[in-house]
Amino acid sequence: MKLTRLHLEQLKQFRQPLEITDLTDGINLFVGPNESGKSTLVRAIRAAFFERYKSSSVDDLQPWGDTSATPEIELEFDWQGEHWTLNKRFLGKKRCDLKVGSQHFSGEEAEEKLAEMLGYQFASRGASKAEHWGIPGLLWVEQGAVQDIQGPVNHAGEHLQSALGQSLGEVASSGGDELIAQVEKARAELLTSTGKETKDYKKVQDDYRQSQERLDALNQSVEQYRQQVDQLGKLMEQKQSIDATRPWEDQRRKAEAAQSQLTEVQRWQSEQQQEQQALENCRQSQAVYRQQLSDFENQQHQLAQRTADKNKAEERLQECQARRPQLEQRQKQAQAAYEQARTRLTQARQQAERARLQQEVDQLAERQQTRADNLKQAIELQQTLQKGREQLQSTEIDPKALDRLKQTDRKLAELTIQQKALATRLSYELEAGKEITVGTDTVTGEGETLLLDATDVTIPGVGRLRVQPGGTDVADLQRRQDALESERAGLLRQLNIASLTEGEQRAAEHQRLAQQVERDQALLDNLAPKGVDTLRAAFELDRTRLETLNEQLAQKPDAQADAPPAENAEAELETATTELKLAEDALTNHQREQSLAEQASASAKAEWDKLNTELQAPDRKAREQQISDQLTDLKAQERKLLAAIDARQTQIDAAQPELLEQDVERFTTSAQAMEAQARDRERDIRILHARLEEQGAQGLEEKRDEEQQKNQRLQQRRDELARRAKALDLLLTLLKDKRQALTRQLQAPLQKHLNHYLKLLFPQAHLSVDEHLMPTTLTRPQGTGEEQGDLPSLSYGAREQMGLISRLAYADLLREAGKPTLIILDDALVHSDAERLDQMKRILFDAARRHQILLFSCHPENWRDLGATPRDLQGLKITDTGG
Amino acid sequence: MPRFLHTADWQIGRQYSRFAEEDASILADARFTVIERLATLATEQSVDAVLVAGDVFDAQTVSDRTIHRTFQAMAGFTGPWLLLSGNHDAALAESVWARAQRLGAVPDNVDLLLEPKVREYPEQGFAVLPAPLTQRQTYDDLTEWFDRAETPEGLLRIGLAHGSVEGQLAEEIDSTNPIAADRAATAGLDYLALGDWHGFKAINARTVYSGTPEQERFKDNGAGQALIVDIDQPGAEPRVQPHATGEFTWIKHQSTLAVASDMDRLMSELDALLPRSVVDLTLDGEVDLAGYQSLQQYLSAAEARHRSFQTHLSGLNLMPTEEDIAALHADGYVGEVIDELGERQEGESEDADTARQALAILAGMLRETEQPEGAQ
Repeated sequence: MKLTRLHLEQLKQFRQPLEITDLTDGINLFVGPNESGKSTLVRAIRAAFFERYKSSSVDDLQPWGDTSATPEIELEFDWQGEHWTLNKRFLGKKRCDLKVGSQHFSGEEAEEKLAEMLGYQFASRGASKAEHWGIPGLLWVEQGAVQDIQGPVNHAGEHLQSALGQSLGEVASSGGDELIAQVEKARAELLTSTGKETKDYKKVQDDYRQSQERLDALNQSVEQYRQQVDQLGKLMEQKQSIDATRPWEDQRRKAEAAQSQLTEVQRWQSEQQQEQQALENCRQSQAVYRQQLSDFENQQHQLAQRTADKNKAEERLQECQARRPQLEQRQKQAQAAYEQARTRLTQARQQAERARLQQEVDQLAERQQTRADNLKQAIELQQTLQKGREQLQSTEIDPKALDRLKQTDRKLAELTIQQKALATRLSYELEAGKEITVGTDTVTGEGETLLLDATDVTIPGVGRLRVQPGGTDVADLQRRQDALESERAGLLRQLNIASLTEGEQRAAEHQRLAQQVERDQALLDNLAPKGVDTLRAAFELDRTRLETLNEQLAQKPDAQADAPPAENAEAELETATTELKLAEDALTNHQREQSLAEQASASAKAEWDKLNTELQAPDRKAREQQISDQLTDLKAQERKLLAAIDARQTQIDAAQPELLEQDVERFTTSAQAMEAQARDRERDIRILHARLEEQGAQGLEEKRDEEQQKNQRLQQRRDELARRAKALDLLLTLLKDKRQALTRQLQAPLQKHLNHYLKLLFPQAHLSVDEHLMPTTLTRPQGTGEEQGDLPSLSYGAREQMGLISRLAYADLLREAGKPTLIILDDALVHSDAERLDQMKRILFDAARRHQILLFSCHPENWRDLGATPRDLQGLKITDTGG
Repeated sequence: MPRFLHTADWQIGRQYSRFAEEDASILADARFTVIERLATLATEQSVDAVLVAGDVFDAQTVSDRTIHRTFQAMAGFTGPWLLLSGNHDAALAESVWARAQRLGAVPDNVDLLLEPKVREYPEQGFAVLPAPLTQRQTYDDLTEWFDRAETPEGLLRIGLAHGSVEGQLAEEIDSTNPIAADRAATAGLDYLALGDWHGFKAINARTVYSGTPEQERFKDNGAGQALIVDIDQPGAEPRVQPHATGEFTWIKHQSTLAVASDMDRLMSELDALLPRSVVDLTLDGEVDLAGYQSLQQYLSAAEARHRSFQTHLSGLNLMPTEEDIAALHADGYVGEVIDELGERQEGESEDADTARQALAILAGMLRETEQPEGAQ
């Protein structure tokens, strides 16, 4: 197929017509920058083939904003020796015309013819999509899609198969696919695609299964029925052979016989029991009599015992009585001691009273003496005190005046000193034996003298010296001395004394007297604190008391020399009391003891009397004899009874009453069981009869046989269907397998073409192809081994290259099968490096020798060495616009 | 000169599960209609009594309707019918006989021989010694008492029993219900009428199996007859004369196909069969697709001719020839599939059977595809 001319009008950016002519065999390279119209051209070619001319989904073809435009495409190409012209207008004036040589097709007919020729299909509605593009989808590669090979191969699959199938000639079957469809249909009646039973087939199986269940149930019923019949037969036979003879009657008779025997034995047993009772009684009587005899014997022993007891009691009584006088004596003595102790105590107390009185008298007397002395002293002291006070009065001096005198005196002294200080000091150290006169005084030796007035010192031999003391105060001092001298004289007169010294002596005498009075007063206060009169009164009181006491004392008996002290007398009395109490207690105890002993003695005697009387009873001997005789009789009776019992027991044992009882029970039970069994049998027979009559009427076996028949038929049908299903399954599998094997034969030529291109890119590499003719794995030599990679795992560039190689190989395959091949590549191999691109160019050049290739690129520099003249789309547009 | 009709093994109520439903019901029906023919025969032959030697009914619990129908079918002969219980209808505690009596289905002229007791028919000049089965099976010889049984002077002594004569019948007949081979002699019987063996078989001059009057097995042993027995007087040897009574003949046919001419031979053999028979055909060997096709055509025609025509072709291999394949236009891989199936069908395995069937389906489909084209 060779595209020769392309004409566009009102299509996308080509508002003005675009005409491309002189398209050549091999590569036609279109270059231009982006948006120069390369993709529009590709879109136009695709639309011309893929889109229905009537389609309303192609408004993208209109120039932008021009909704009234009629996009038009006209294509011319040569194929199979004829010239084809396709004119297609969309949207505005929809139209499709196809001229093939002299033939003309239009509308859908034209479209279908093209689709069949190129191997694609139309979308049932809307715009054409990848899945409709078939073989052209594989060979016309859109921008950036060359590496995606899987989708296009799948979409092209059917067209590829049918296109290539024809090339397989003799190996394909003329009616094979039709046959497969037929077998599939037949199989589908029985089996689903997954091999499960279909509804109809399943129903047959279900019917069979249900029938089988019914049949089983019926078989079971029949079997039950038969068993019941057998059971009935057995029962009737048993009734005939067993129950008819009434075997339980025999058992009853046996039971009765055993019972009567048993009754006899039971009578023996009863007798035996009576005699055993008699034996028991006999033995008990013997025991009683023996006890009596034994009692008689015991009484003798008892009497001896009681005699001993009686004697002992008497002895004890006597012993007790003997002790009495001693105890009475002791009590008497204690009584006497007690009385004496009491007397002595009274005496002691009186003595003590007297002593006390005496003591008081003595004391009072002594005090009386003291008080007498004190009173005398106090009276004397009182007189002294009186005199002292009188003296004190006479020596009294005014202490203040005296004080003033003293001060005046001292002031005078001080004036004197002041005079001395003001005086001129005259020190002298005279030679021995020499003397001088100072004033009036003659001095010798060494010394010092004061000079207050002008004084004349006369030194013998020398003359006189006048010494005039200096200062002005000497006169003042003299005056003050005179004043003081006068005051002193007044005071001395006032005090009636001559001098200060006399005044001071009188003051001291007064003080001594005052102290004396004070001391005497204290002494008096001590002797008679409450006054002398009070002292005298107390003295009088004591004297009266003493007189009274003396009178009392005189009344008291005279003091006794041996009288004990009161405390001792009291202790003695206490001891005597205790002793008396003990003695009395001992007597009381003895009294009680004695009465007990008397009582014991009396009772022992009574016991003895009683027993003795009994023993001495006149009939005692006779009774003893009688008891002894009776005992002998009883022994004889016991022997007789024992013999009888032994004999009877042997008899009873021999009869085996337990066995007899068991026999009675056994025979009776047997009889009852037999009768019950017979009754049960009779009842069972009736029931079974009724049941069988009822069941027989249902015609069980006939029904069973009918079901069996139905079942067998269903089984046959089921088996037939199963066999048929299996056969169809086998047939389909075989047909498909064979067909697939055939498909595989197509792989070889594709492989051949692939390898042809591949060796230009990767020497010794191998690209494998699966049964769906899909390239799968690239195997390359790597070092000493091989490297394998699935297509999707390769790099983008390598995938792109493999994609292109695969498409070229398909093109070769289609060409060999006589199919049209046009290859359109829009900006392919942009991800290939320079080296690979070089190889790919060789590959493309090689392919272009067999196929027409339209190659669009915006990288003209990449394709300069492709061996094709590039056409600049922009140039074309300008040219066209111009033309 | 008493004359009897001796028959046995009516097996009323038997169902035929191996046949198509329609055929089965007709065959089951035939078991009633044969009784009517027996009655007619008895009347025609003026027999003194009809002796039925056991297995009148095929099962104990047949429907009431079946019971009524059976006795009603006897109406054509008003003389005495002597019915013995066999192993299928043994006189058990509860049995089909008890039910028949309860239902009041048994006509007066029908005597049920359910107890081993001599029964005298002085008018007809014979006494019958029956050995009815009262259990489904027994290992005792129930005819043993015949030896000691006394019958009035001048009456024929006719024994009636159901079981296997010892040492006479093939092993496959179970050896239960044994009957001494010389019982007729030891018991001084004039005739011992036997049942249980479905074919006609005379053990000796006086001991005879009548067989079933209507065939129900593929066994060519003289079934489908009844016997007319004449005995002139006590001690005289009986004259036994079989009469065909059956409606359908049961034929089992087996053939091996090896060469092309075998097909012709087979067809002529099948052509010779009595029409309206019950046929059971088994084929083995091998046949080509063309031969298989013509066989199918022939067999469907034959099926129409007979009451029942059952075929077993699982032993027959389809051997497609080059010509077959060419004729069916089975070119390309379809041809390969035919070859493979041809190989796979060898042998007896289930897979082989599947392959055979698949081949037949494939041939059928190809032929159908061919025909419309041929018609154009």
